[in-house]
Amino acid sequence: MLLVLSAEQRAHLGCLPRAGGAAVGELGRLALEQLRRGAAPRACETAARKLNVGVDTIQHGVEGLVYLLTESSKLMISEVDFQDSIHVLGFSDELNKSLLQLYLNNRKEIRSILGELAPRLPSYHSLEWRLDVQLASRSLRQQIKAAVTMKLHLNQNEDQTAQVLQTDPATLLHLIQQLEQALGEMKMNHCRRIVRNMK
Amino acid sequence: QRFRFCGDLDCPDWVLAEISTLAKISSVKLKLICAQVLRDLLGEAIEYDKILKLTSDAKLESGDVKATIAVLGFILSSAAKHNVDSESLSSELQQLGLPKAEHASGLCRCYEEKQNPLQDRLRACSLRLSQLGSVRWRVDYTLSSSELQEVNEPVVHLTFNVRDREREKTTAVPVTLSANKLRVLLA
Repeated sequence: MLLVLSAEQRAHLGCLPRAGGAAVGELGRLALEQLRRGAAPRACETAARKLNVGVDTIQHGVEGLVYLLTESSKLMISEVDFQDSIHVLGFSDELNKSLLQLYLNNRKEIRSILGELAPRLPSYHSLEWRLDVQLASRSLRQQIKAAVTMKLHLNQNEDQTAQVLQTDPATLLHLIQQLEQALGEMKMNHCRRIVRNMK
Repeated sequence: QRFRFCGDLDCPDWVLAEISTLAKISSVKLKLICAQVLRDLLGEAIEYDKILKLTSDAKLESGDVKATIAVLGFILSSAAKHNVDSESLSSELQQLGLPKAEHASGLCRCYEEKQNPLQDRLRACSLRLSQLGSVRWRVDYTLSSSELQEVNEPVVHLTFNVRDREREKTTAVPVTLSANKLRVLLA
């Protein structure tokens, strides 16, 4: 699968051969830092001064590299496809090789960063429970009424919410039975076939 | 096989696996690590560096150190939860393979000393939705109002301070009652 680079991106990456070998390493490092932590204009300025190039050129170069790396890691393209995709830029072999190395070395990390960007539903954090027996109330004395009170703690993007639920033991048993049936579905032929094919 | 300290259920596999790691630590150091784990269970800060120093002799990796803390935490809190006395705990730990002479008895002695505070702490941590912090009251006497010239009625103002344990907030709930309503409330 080949990457398609737009004219603008090709122009951005066009500054790379002019900047030289060491610059490519520096730009690569800046691109990875931008992926990990977000844009850092000051780092771009220091790099621009060190390499004696305009700040804009550095910024465009970094952005071009970021796009190249994220798209390649996202699609998990092979070495051959990567080399073919950047061949169209017309760079020297050495530059192509260092770009390929940059891609291969950091592919896994970039994929894990991209993995965290997906939207998330609230997830389970913990469950506190309590078993109570109501013996009497203002309206009726001498009762026996069992109730299970639960507090479900959920996590959503570092937000903690808690939901309080109360049920009698019979409903709780029914709930457990339904959940066990859902788990049992994993052992049915249909699910087993899909899981086998995924592996 | 059923164990009382696991609530009359089977012992979890990971606990069985880590008992052998516990046996690798000398019994004196095990007692000191137990003391640290008890501090954590009682809500004080755990001193992880001390535990690292104590386990360095047994040449445990960092994963093993965390597993040791986890298994000791489980044994002690589970025993307190099911109100197991230290003799039964000792015999059950020996059944699991913890050497008797020093390890099991040392652990159980630590447990016995702190059993009551641990149970009190677990009781305080139990699920509780909200808690009444305090009640403040004031009795006023209404002389007259815009509706009626001579009222002459006492009125009670109550403020319930309700504490929400997790958000650590106290909300004030003000209530105003006439004398008759107060009598019904107290009846």
